[in-house]
Amino acid sequence: MNIVVGLITGMIAGATPILLAALGGMLTFYAGIFNIAMEGMMLMAAFAAVLGSFVFHSWVIGLLFAVAGAMILALIFIFFSVTLDTDEFVTGIALNLFAVGSTTYLLRQIFKVKGVFTSKLIDSIPNIRIPLVEKIPLLGPVVSGRNLIVYLAVVATIFCYYLVFKTRFGLRLRAAGYNANSLDSSGVRTSRMRIQSLLLCAVFCGLAGAFLSLGYVTLFAENMTAGRGWISLAAIILVDGHPYGIALISLLFGFFDGLGLFLQSYGVSSQFTSMVPYIATLGALYVYARRNRERERKAL
Amino acid sequence: MTRKILSGVLGVVIAFLVGALIMLLEGYEPLATYGALAQFSLGGIGPFATTLKNSVPLVLTGLSAAIAFASGPVNLGQPGQLVFGALAATLGGLYFSLPPALEIPLLLLLAIAGGALWSALAGLLRQAFGMSEFIVTLMLNMIADFFTAWAIAYPFMDRKAFSPMTPPIAQSGWMPDIGPLSSSVLLMFAAVAAMWFVVQRWRAGYEWRITGQNSLFARLGGCDVRGNFMAVMLVTGALAGLAGGLVVMAGPHRFIKGLGANYAWDGIMIAIMANNGLLETLIYGVFVAAIQTGALGMELITNVPSEIAQVLQAILVLVIVATREYAAVAFDRLAARRQARRRAP
Repeated sequence: MNIVVGLITGMIAGATPILLAALGGMLTFYAGIFNIAMEGMMLMAAFAAVLGSFVFHSWVIGLLFAVAGAMILALIFIFFSVTLDTDEFVTGIALNLFAVGSTTYLLRQIFKVKGVFTSKLIDSIPNIRIPLVEKIPLLGPVVSGRNLIVYLAVVATIFCYYLVFKTRFGLRLRAAGYNANSLDSSGVRTSRMRIQSLLLCAVFCGLAGAFLSLGYVTLFAENMTAGRGWISLAAIILVDGHPYGIALISLLFGFFDGLGLFLQSYGVSSQFTSMVPYIATLGALYVYARRNRERERKAL
Repeated sequence: MTRKILSGVLGVVIAFLVGALIMLLEGYEPLATYGALAQFSLGGIGPFATTLKNSVPLVLTGLSAAIAFASGPVNLGQPGQLVFGALAATLGGLYFSLPPALEIPLLLLLAIAGGALWSALAGLLRQAFGMSEFIVTLMLNMIADFFTAWAIAYPFMDRKAFSPMTPPIAQSGWMPDIGPLSSSVLLMFAAVAAMWFVVQRWRAGYEWRITGQNSLFARLGGCDVRGNFMAVMLVTGALAGLAGGLVVMAGPHRFIKGLGANYAWDGIMIAIMANNGLLETLIYGVFVAAIQTGALGMELITNVPSEIAQVLQAILVLVIVATREYAAVAFDRLAARRQARRRAP
């Protein structure tokens, strides 16, 4: 029984950062931006979260710092890709490298360490216990006692669904990606929708990064996002950007992430268990590609 | 051509100004820092030879990315292909001990095969199932990273070492030095020349470039688009693998933990700066290597940490690309205005 609960909680923890980053990326996906900077935004946010929480001994400040950190990258993205019209792919790759470089540099500058920074002074984001619910057998320990960000991620998923499909903002957002010219001629500036989607993306990536460095663990390690931004990009592509689909795919990746840790306790070497989520991504891509091919064949 | 040089130089100057601004904000002296940077990378034969040696993996992975991007395939798998090439060369060096004239070519071939094997996997997944090589190569990077980490921690670990690494390879497989210059530099120049020849002068290269610009046109013109895709994947994988092999053979002579470092991502960035031009990749590659090499020396005499090189590089790529695209618009606008003035009475 404990194993099942452990697997499920591991799955939720693994899914949360991917889900949040993918939701952010989804908004830019609908706005017609090829945004691959989620990885960098998350990394910057994870660093800023530790910085804020360490200096002010408060996870709230850490969270605010995280969002601000991701926002800085979003503003650079906006300046280059929307204002100067630089290629989005190039901007994204450069921003990811900028995030790796500047967090490594700042880690050395501010905390005087290389590799990993951790301290007792860092205040981590609390887990929330739900009274009454936590008493329910089996369900209780899964639903209650999760990190605050996990609950935020659930709310964010539903919020995103309504935002994209049920509001005027969402309609304009999708129009920006679907047919920018007709949106412009209807009097709404496409560039403005794109800027707003990028800023929202930064908020979500900020939460994801804060979860990594103040929730999942309480430390900052160089390049600690470890390709999660890329996996979230794959998740968006795999379900053509539907928020609930993204949640499902994220849980799937979370499951394989947790499974890896679980296998480790059975003596499989950690290098192989760490590969599991990436291999799962390849598997999911295979299913997606096959479905696409069949659809094309039917269309003919 | 002059436009290209002008916008490139302008980009570098702006990037250095931004870098200087950051240093001023941090309380460092930009001029002294840049001076130290130049002194330790370009000031004399020794430092310049080191810069050239350090540029080898950057230029080769940059070449790989440039050829891939210009020909269509979004091969971002250079990091994985590099470590696989390095691992293949290392294993060859552990099990064979031939005279140098045979050993070195053998290890180089193994490195090339290792890199090409890993990129062929991505190419096959694309060909057989239609899986986008963009995400596949990224995932294969992570898998290659963990696989090589396992290989040097378990089956091929040096029992005498304290951290994961293989034993040293046979001495006959070390790249010899020619005076102060490592012979790997000569191989790098040879690779650039060969690739330039293939891309600019051969029919295959012409087909690759046309496919990259307009794959429908290429197909209607009778190019074997699928075959070319695979060929480009193999060639670019081989280049990244060669980079990995040379890192081992000219450097630590064994596979140590974290050997791949950031070489391949830096190479991808260099290709982007170079706008996928091959000679430009060589120039920017040496330039970036100079910054990285100089940064280590700079740390010794100024208080600026060497990690600033990474920040500087990211600024460089952003500013150079933005300047290039913006300069193109500005030049066109200037030309249009000149024409308008001439036409006006």
